[in-house]
Amino acid sequence: MLYRGEEIERLIPQRAPIMMVDAFIDAKGEVAQTGLEVLASNFFCEDGCLTEPGIIEHIAQSASAFAGYKALCQDLPVPIGYIGEVKKCHIYRLPKVGDNLKTTITMGAEVNRVTILTGVTRVGEETVADTSMKIFIEE
Amino acid sequence: MLLENKFYRIIKEEKTESDSSVYELELLPECDVYRGHFPGKPVSPGVCEIETVKELAMRVVGHRLFITTVNQCRFRAVASPLVCPKVKVLLEVAPVSEGSYKVIASMADAEIVYMEFKGEMKECIV
Repeated sequence: MLYRGEEIERLIPQRAPIMMVDAFIDAKGEVAQTGLEVLASNFFCEDGCLTEPGIIEHIAQSASAFAGYKALCQDLPVPIGYIGEVKKCHIYRLPKVGDNLKTTITMGAEVNRVTILTGVTRVGEETVADTSMKIFIEE
Repeated sequence: MLLENKFYRIIKEEKTESDSSVYELELLPECDVYRGHFPGKPVSPGVCEIETVKELAMRVVGHRLFITTVNQCRFRAVASPLVCPKVKVLLEVAPVSEGSYKVIASMADAEIVYMEFKGEMKECIV
């Protein structure tokens, strides 16, 4: 575990109530693992489940945390990134309060400050969502 | 609804053709989400725009919906209550099979298209 809880604030610019990553577990090359425990107080929870926008935001912030981690490793400021595009996103089920999300981010090519990545979110062995995404990094 | 009257408020609702509707929305600057996205720099989270499309589609079909697939959703410009206090959402909800719909939507004001969405939603069994 590299960063957890409030330490994640060092990696991403988002703050409460929409911090959607609570663990930055590992990073090797272009692949990183993140986590989030679904709490009932989460902004995106409704009727005991984490809703679709919450899952997508979790994946986007996982990528943002990875970009932040890479920046910190080079002594650079943590960038602000926006979602440019969500593509081929499948949501198989909504995670429940108490579930622990584990997400694998694989960074792809970067062109003109736009990075293509894929994210897969699992609860235990079960894949709950996967997507491709473009993130636009602000200068 | 997760975001109605928090992130957005419906000003006007109009059904145009059989599968199409137009919604005029106000984006609400007091929404809690802007405390964290980002401190001192309000930017509407793209995922909240997606949820807004889902909630409007739910009004159209009169049933709770679950987004199974986002085929493609492009965020063409950064939206916020400061940049675009009022926006229009064009929405097309077409049934494809029992309880499942293809949804095409865009969010824009007079000058700029902020978001374009293509996805599939199905009715939730509650």
